[in-house]
Amino acid sequence: MGDILETLKRYRAEGSRLVGCFPLYGPLELFHSFGLTPVVLWGLGDGRGYYPASDAHVQGYACSVARALTGFVIEHGTALFDALFMYNACDTLRNLPEILSRALDSRGGHIPMFRLHLPAIPLDRAHAARYLEERLRGLVKALEEFTGRSFSGDAFMASATLYERRRSLCRGVMDLRARGGIPSARAARIIELGNHVEVAEHIAGLEEVVGSCSGLPGDARGVRVMAGGIQAPPLELLDAMDSSNLVTVADDFATMARTHLASVSPRPDPHSYYTELYLHHPPCSTLLPSADARLGHLVSRAKASGARGFILFGEKFCEYEYFEAPQLLAAMEREGVRTLFLEIAPEDRENLAQHVTRIEAFAEMLQDGSTGG
Amino acid sequence: MVESPLAGKPKKSESAKRLSAMIAEDYMTLHQRASNGAFVVWIAIVVPAELFAGFDDVVYAVPESHAAMSAGKGVGALQCAKAEQAGYSADLCSYARIDIGTVLDGGRDSPSFGLPRPHLLVSNNNNCSLLVKWFDIYHRMWGTPHFVLDIPFCYEEQNGLNFSYIRDQFKDLISTIERLSGQRFREEKAAQAVSLSAEALKEWKRFIGLASHRPSPITAFDSFVHMAPILTSRGTRRLVEHYRMLADETESLEADGVYPVPGERYRLLWDNIAPWHQLRKMSSRLAGLGANITTASYTYCIGSLEGSIDAYPFDGTDPLAWLARLQNFSVCPQGLDLRLRAMQRAIERNGIDGVIFASNRSCKVYSVMQMDQMRHVRDTLGVPAIMIDVDHADERKYSEEAAFVRIEALLETIDARRSSGRPPTA
Ligand code: SF4
Ligand code: SF4
Repeated sequence: MGDILETLKRYRAEGSRLVGCFPLYGPLELFHSFGLTPVVLWGLGDGRGYYPASDAHVQGYACSVARALTGFVIEHGTALFDALFMYNACDTLRNLPEILSRALDSRGGHIPMFRLHLPAIPLDRAHAARYLEERLRGLVKALEEFTGRSFSGDAFMASATLYERRRSLCRGVMDLRARGGIPSARAARIIELGNHVEVAEHIAGLEEVVGSCSGLPGDARGVRVMAGGIQAPPLELLDAMDSSNLVTVADDFATMARTHLASVSPRPDPHSYYTELYLHHPPCSTLLPSADARLGHLVSRAKASGARGFILFGEKFCEYEYFEAPQLLAAMEREGVRTLFLEIAPEDRENLAQHVTRIEAFAEMLQDGSTGG
Repeated sequence: MVESPLAGKPKKSESAKRLSAMIAEDYMTLHQRASNGAFVVWIAIVVPAELFAGFDDVVYAVPESHAAMSAGKGVGALQCAKAEQAGYSADLCSYARIDIGTVLDGGRDSPSFGLPRPHLLVSNNNNCSLLVKWFDIYHRMWGTPHFVLDIPFCYEEQNGLNFSYIRDQFKDLISTIERLSGQRFREEKAAQAVSLSAEALKEWKRFIGLASHRPSPITAFDSFVHMAPILTSRGTRRLVEHYRMLADETESLEADGVYPVPGERYRLLWDNIAPWHQLRKMSSRLAGLGANITTASYTYCIGSLEGSIDAYPFDGTDPLAWLARLQNFSVCPQGLDLRLRAMQRAIERNGIDGVIFASNRSCKVYSVMQMDQMRHVRDTLGVPAIMIDVDHADERKYSEEAAFVRIEALLETIDARRSSGRPPTA
């Protein structure tokens, strides 16, 4: 994670035109099809110290994702990004565009911003689908003007194919992790790298990992657990899970499973593609229409993967996650899946040791009631 | 139910008495009609309740408004604690925690004995998406259908695409209620309610417009207290009568030389939700300092289009269109430029000397923008401003002393500017 800035600088030096996309699930394929390089602006907060620039603009009770994004864009945005993109992923993020443009202006910089309103109602409601179509058309037009290129269905199809390949490889890494072929921390690092690394480069890295681990024997030994949250927690905590003999057989991180369990067959029409992507997206606390499905989906994934425990890494101040947490944890417990809730603020290193202890205690508790993986 | 906190008034005004009676009656009627079989809808604050008047027997309840009343009555923290005990984070919006606490404890400790169980939940994401998450909890708990209205955020004035999208969703909502309640919607009845709401909002604007007078015959605290029936009696004749009476009464008090802050020396603007647990305390302490918060973004936005503070009139033709066009009225679904545009108008019109930005960790949507707003108000408009920490409904997260240290510093800054010969409002 330490070299995000270096990676982006390298792309820039090589002539890539970078689009900094606000989390969580922007239409990356579309940007890519216009020859742009989309990078997703999360995972920026881990020990990077980007908060000071954000502290003059965003209160400390906004989540670390938003604060790190703000600080990063203010400090490095003008030098790195040709454009920014945001959609209505969450209330905090929707408040940021003008804050950023004012902050950049005051430093003599400016970055064009693309915006999209993704319907927060089911896309099978006729006017929601129509609305998305209109908004996507607007985005395509804006991209045509910005890049000086016409939209190409073939290029979109090629980009969608790459992203689908990436999702499938990430699923492969998750599968390896479930079988004990790769530790949780490493799996998280490899998958989350895709937020900042160009898709083809990421695919090459994923292929190497998946290829090198092929032929692994069956199931891992250890206690099977599922873990979830917005982004993977600090690596020390994932290491603690690994060293406590917990095997992550499934995850529900927005940066991981929620992104990569989606599967859409590539096609030349962005409207049809994104309608299917968002309509059948793995449920997420920020995708409001998926709320009905979410608890059931997670409980059945936990059961299907044989998880005996569920660790929810709560992103401090993310109300989306927190409104659902009590019912989600209760639903897991009802099904016999023991739960652990840890509140994570990535800049808060002081509590890490305490969290590690709780993970170890949780593992012991599960082991006491377990005959092993 | 919440008394006017007007300082300096010898006794409760007629409009304050009427307000108490009206709110009590609204909650009583709601419970009664619900127990007589009316179709009960719980709505987010900005859901267009006038639509329900188009049905014969649909009643609505507003959990946010009930939470505000609970906080005003001093039980906010108690209800929040109940939600926290059930695992709901203390970082969640305090309205939500009050409501969840109230529901989980079967309405105990609520000033209105809770709200009648709904047949339908209707939320939206214009003020915040968290309302959707909050209502989803009940949807899962009770199996009650949950209808969501998706209202795009405004960075610029609402455009045609968004307008039609919103209006189409209102039609969906109407057919959903028709289907679930077995009742038929009659547009002319809804149009009548819209027309009454528009008339009431005109009177409301007349009332809060009095804040431009010097000294001001009103405080923002009055507007906080008197906004309650906009939420509980929308689209009714009695709402029009109430605001007419309130404006008339205030004008006549002014004519008699009765002012809420005698010797008013500082005219302030409040940015954020009302501090419901502090209305009386804060208003009297400020009055003691000669300070009057005359104006609040929370209440001047009511009935205005985004970026404006004036009433948006109803031309009598299409009630759904009027409702759709006003869907971004409250501050939260507006971008920074629009918020500032409205605030600048209010500052200029009402001769504001200083702005208090109430940074409210319980309402991030209102608050995350204030640092830049404050900079703009100070540096570009030349108006002194401060930021204080407030939680609108959970008094455990508010420190009166810390807040007043800053407020007093603001008043000193205003004094210093005056003595240096700079105009009170740039
Ligand atoms: S962590 Fe939650 S609040 Fe923060 S940006 Fe993500 S969805 Fe929004
Ligand atoms: S977060 Fe703010 S806008 Fe949302 S329900 Fe709470 S007080 Fe209202």
